[in-house]
Amino acid sequence: MSKVFSRRSIMNAIGGTAAAAGFFRPGTAVAKLKKDIEPRGSNGTLERLPTLDLDSYDDFSTATRIWINGDLTRASEQRAAEILKSHGVKPTDKVSFEDTVRWVADDPIIALRSASWQRLQWHMWQELRREFHGNFDAYMSELEAADASGPGVLELNPGIEPEYTKHEIHMQPGGYTGDPFAGHLYHYGTNNFYNGTNHQDQRHTALAGAVPVPADGKVRRILDMGCSCGQQVTALKQRFPDAEVWGIDIGAPMVRYAHMRAVDLGIDVNFRHALAEQTGFPDGHFDMVTSYILHHEVTAAASLQIVKEAHRILRPGGVFYPVDIYPSPTNRSDHGTAIRHVRDWMTHRWNHERWWNDYLTTDYIGEIARVGFTLQDAAREGVGYPMVAPGGPRNPLGIKPV
Amino acid sequence: MAETKGNRPTYATDFITTDIEKVTFFGNVHIDNMMTTLLAMGNELWVQRKRQHILEALLAEKGVKPEAIEKYVATPAQEQAWAKERDVLVARLWSHHDKNTGEYNFASDWNGK
Repeated sequence: MSKVFSRRSIMNAIGGTAAAAGFFRPGTAVAKLKKDIEPRGSNGTLERLPTLDLDSYDDFSTATRIWINGDLTRASEQRAAEILKSHGVKPTDKVSFEDTVRWVADDPIIALRSASWQRLQWHMWQELRREFHGNFDAYMSELEAADASGPGVLELNPGIEPEYTKHEIHMQPGGYTGDPFAGHLYHYGTNNFYNGTNHQDQRHTALAGAVPVPADGKVRRILDMGCSCGQQVTALKQRFPDAEVWGIDIGAPMVRYAHMRAVDLGIDVNFRHALAEQTGFPDGHFDMVTSYILHHEVTAAASLQIVKEAHRILRPGGVFYPVDIYPSPTNRSDHGTAIRHVRDWMTHRWNHERWWNDYLTTDYIGEIARVGFTLQDAAREGVGYPMVAPGGPRNPLGIKPV
Repeated sequence: MAETKGNRPTYATDFITTDIEKVTFFGNVHIDNMMTTLLAMGNELWVQRKRQHILEALLAEKGVKPEAIEKYVATPAQEQAWAKERDVLVARLWSHHDKNTGEYNFASDWNGK
């Protein structure tokens, strides 16, 4: 049996009390982060990277990624189309995955696209890691000081991580669970992924703004599943300031960072180190359960179980709003086409999206209806598109019947 | 299991390492390595240019003309410190060239992964 710690047990272990620290009193005055490492200050809600050189690396990486995603990807797909044509196949034809990969994989432009992606990502992670691990004591002290600060609860449950969660998705060193600074890496790394357009959590704010409210208008408790570094959690709190907002993630270093960031921003939200498929919250506890790009990073079994868990912890009338890449992955019009195979191969193999194929073949949205939600999903009747939907009617919505 | 470093809990677990580092994309690992070097050099170039832009902008605000930068003579201590930094740059650009494996091949890698 795993040994479970909580914020309370950590506080007791270090001789303090939660009440004395003011942790469990929603609305208490904001405590300043005690050991804030911020040598170059902040730009809005984002702490600037701690050195000019690292900031410039990040800047260069973003520009290079935009080139890879733009010109180089277009060149790669043009080559793929030419190669497919030489085999008598159009990009929109349905052919086998194995044949497609076999035909295109030895082309140098297509190889360059994947190699550039992989090398750029490797560089980015290594430079970030060099900073955080090179100053291990300082950054660990900052986390430890935040652990013991409020507002908001932080609950850590060491040892709960199943094997499937331990992969280095996106080639992130150590993955979400295995690096003490996974949250730091993820936050700045994904700023790069978003091509520099999410430095102020714009995407998360848009998504939080798009979550439909229960018909009775009551939003007292909200849970964001797979919250990573907590950007949607803080965005939800800002939309619903009177609600108790929780974020959970299986990466303990991720929720530590998320908590630290929320403390630093003075936003009263709570984090629990937990699996989305086994949250530990009581039946009917929440009015709203959200997730953002979670389902494509879990196994098929976990994806379906997450839907069941959301149904269990929502109260009648509560809403479930999972947002992911492709609103209906198993219902795309381009499913099984040659060009889709090329893209899926690159995503799964060369961006190390370990559970991508599970995602494409698991009807977790259908499961929303099967477990008893009333499903609203315009996307199932439409066409999938290759981006994370910023909200709106194409995202699936489950409403738990009253 | 959650790890500790010294007596400090890090809450990090063991993890499953990706094998992508073992891949050769261009059929020859040394070509792959050269590409890594080029990427690093591009990065370094931009880092330095950006810093230089900032410095020159600040200097111009203080009345330092570009000719003064051109004619500057470094002290021995400066030379020593800059040489150390230069060596770090050399290592960053070239140290990965000892990678000499191509366990998997980009063109024939797919095996149901």
